[in-house]
Amino acid sequence: MDSFFALMEGFGTALQPQYLFLALVGVFVGTAVGVLPGIGPAMTVALLLPLTYSLDPTGAFIMFAGIYYGGMYGGSTTSILLNTPGESASIITALEGNRMAKAGRGTAALATAAIGSFVAGTFATVGLTFVAPIAAEWAVKLGPVDYVALMILAFLTVGALLGSSIARGLASLSLGLFIGLIGVDQISGQQRFTFGVPVLGDGIDVVLVAVGLFAVGEALYVGSRLRKGPVEVVPISKGWRNWMTREELRLSWKPWLRGTAIGFPIGTIPAGGADVSTFLSYAAEKKLAKGERKEQFGHGAIEGVAGPESANNAAAAGVLVPLLTLGLPTSATAAIMLVVFQQYNIDPGPQLFSGNAALVWALIASLYIGNLMLLVLNLPLVGLWVRVLQIPRHYLYAGILTFAALGAFAVNRIPADVMILLVIGVIGFFMRRVGYPIAPMVVAMILGPMFEAQLRRALSISQGDPVTLVQSPFAVFVYAALGLVFALSLWLKRRERETEEVLEHLEDDELVSTDERSVRS
Amino acid sequence: MTTTRQERPAERTVPVGELGFAGGVVALGVFALVRAGSINEPLTAGSMGPRALPYLVGGALVLSGLAVVAAVLRGHRGEAEHGEDVADDEHTDWRVVGMLVALFLVHVFLIIPAGWPVAATVLFSGSAVVLGAKPWWRAIVIGLLLALVLQASFAGGLGVSLPAGPLLEGVSFLRG
Repeated sequence: MDSFFALMEGFGTALQPQYLFLALVGVFVGTAVGVLPGIGPAMTVALLLPLTYSLDPTGAFIMFAGIYYGGMYGGSTTSILLNTPGESASIITALEGNRMAKAGRGTAALATAAIGSFVAGTFATVGLTFVAPIAAEWAVKLGPVDYVALMILAFLTVGALLGSSIARGLASLSLGLFIGLIGVDQISGQQRFTFGVPVLGDGIDVVLVAVGLFAVGEALYVGSRLRKGPVEVVPISKGWRNWMTREELRLSWKPWLRGTAIGFPIGTIPAGGADVSTFLSYAAEKKLAKGERKEQFGHGAIEGVAGPESANNAAAAGVLVPLLTLGLPTSATAAIMLVVFQQYNIDPGPQLFSGNAALVWALIASLYIGNLMLLVLNLPLVGLWVRVLQIPRHYLYAGILTFAALGAFAVNRIPADVMILLVIGVIGFFMRRVGYPIAPMVVAMILGPMFEAQLRRALSISQGDPVTLVQSPFAVFVYAALGLVFALSLWLKRRERETEEVLEHLEDDELVSTDERSVRS
Repeated sequence: MTTTRQERPAERTVPVGELGFAGGVVALGVFALVRAGSINEPLTAGSMGPRALPYLVGGALVLSGLAVVAAVLRGHRGEAEHGEDVADDEHTDWRVVGMLVALFLVHVFLIIPAGWPVAATVLFSGSAVVLGAKPWWRAIVIGLLLALVLQASFAGGLGVSLPAGPLLEGVSFLRG
């Protein structure tokens, strides 16, 4: 019940006009940037960091709550309306939603995505409200040994389970750890890998790495292989009466709830985050569909949009549980959120709920508010998002480069940072070309120094005896869970691949049928 | 998730780029292992000094890089990333990449002497033209407007001061 009153106080803060305004700006800008093709949620959050530099912590977090949810939602609009889907977290939405849009039900796909996101976001935020304080209370009892175990879990799941190749994931992870090492060692005060360059003495700012890898790397990569020709947006019908038929609503509400139930728990454990939950939800919906509806999968089944989209949003809220209670980011987006906390000298973790209670609860309250704003804003503004989608690509990517350079310069106001940004961007460009996942590098760079500090603390308590690392029951439990997660994920990967194969076959059929249609029309 | 990605990479002969990147990872690892030894280890460092993690990370870089090399040689190729605006064919326009990097470099060295608005105009307009904006003068006008709006809103509204540069020094709303 304590958390209920605390939440009410949070609402008291978040509902003040200036904070409501910041939440609105966050949701609006987050969605607008998230809608832009080529920009995923992580890049949205990274690019919009400079906006909060002048805000007080509460204001900054309220705005970021909006940006976080807005960015998540924006991606699904892109994939439903654009002929060429991108982002991995919303690929499933893309396939079914895009098919629906082509069949003239684009508004219904957008509506079920929006309402599903709202339902899932709200339920998952309720989950966060009640789970997080309990988790935080329990997390206080964890010692350095337990943190070492949790971080190894996070490293290996993010590094080895994201992306298609374990070796490439681990290479990306190691690169991130290496960048995290650069600078003066916090404990001994020794320089490491600074090459005598003074700028590197303070280490490389995480913002530079995140923006460099996501924004500059992406712009260079897309620039090298830019799709020529006009931007094709699937036309959608106007007017709110068209949003959803009664039948579509009937088909949607169960997938919304199931997606939430799948997404939230998966978000809370470090097991690959949103991607896994959308695939699982899609597979579940397909399995549960009966008769005629089953046939519809792959040709624009509304259940296949409603479920995964809800799962995606519920997972996004779930990710905040380990982030807020343990200080452990389990996705690239969460890693960048952690940076926001660090910029205000706030360490997320068990102490957050006791030490910064007002701030945390204002943040959680604004998640509820942001969610509602998204629902109210998104459907009526769909015409605007369509126009955003049509931004000429040369201006879009030029703009991404310019904003990235601005963000990098604004960190410390030295041009050397922009130079570092470019170097990291070029690395990100090559990583995309040869198929290395980006997220492990960002997560590792942020977690690396924390990992080292905890490991050293653990070993200095035990006076150098490494056996201490497996002497805590909790740590042993985590290592056992790690084994289990790996076994499970290999199974999931196989499922994912099977789903993908089925979808690819369907896509071939679809290509034929759209061609026929265009010939007819 | 496009239909064109299966099988195609296997048809290329030697995956120079992939082996090159993996080799770079291994080389960085070797470098880290060698340089880790020269990190000062104070006597007071206790059980785990500042060298331990660099050794670990160096080892991880070497091993994971070698694992990728082995995988590539056995035919498990990386999948180039897909995106909304990425063309499906495998053609790479190196000229565009080179020009974008060059423009970015020019931007870095212009920020202080010419001011952020000028540097940003060069970066934005240049990149837009390189990426295919026509006519070029419209890209410059848009770039200039964007740079001035950003400069004004960051310096004025958000309190993040960006150097205005000698040309615009006198304009009060552009200063932080």
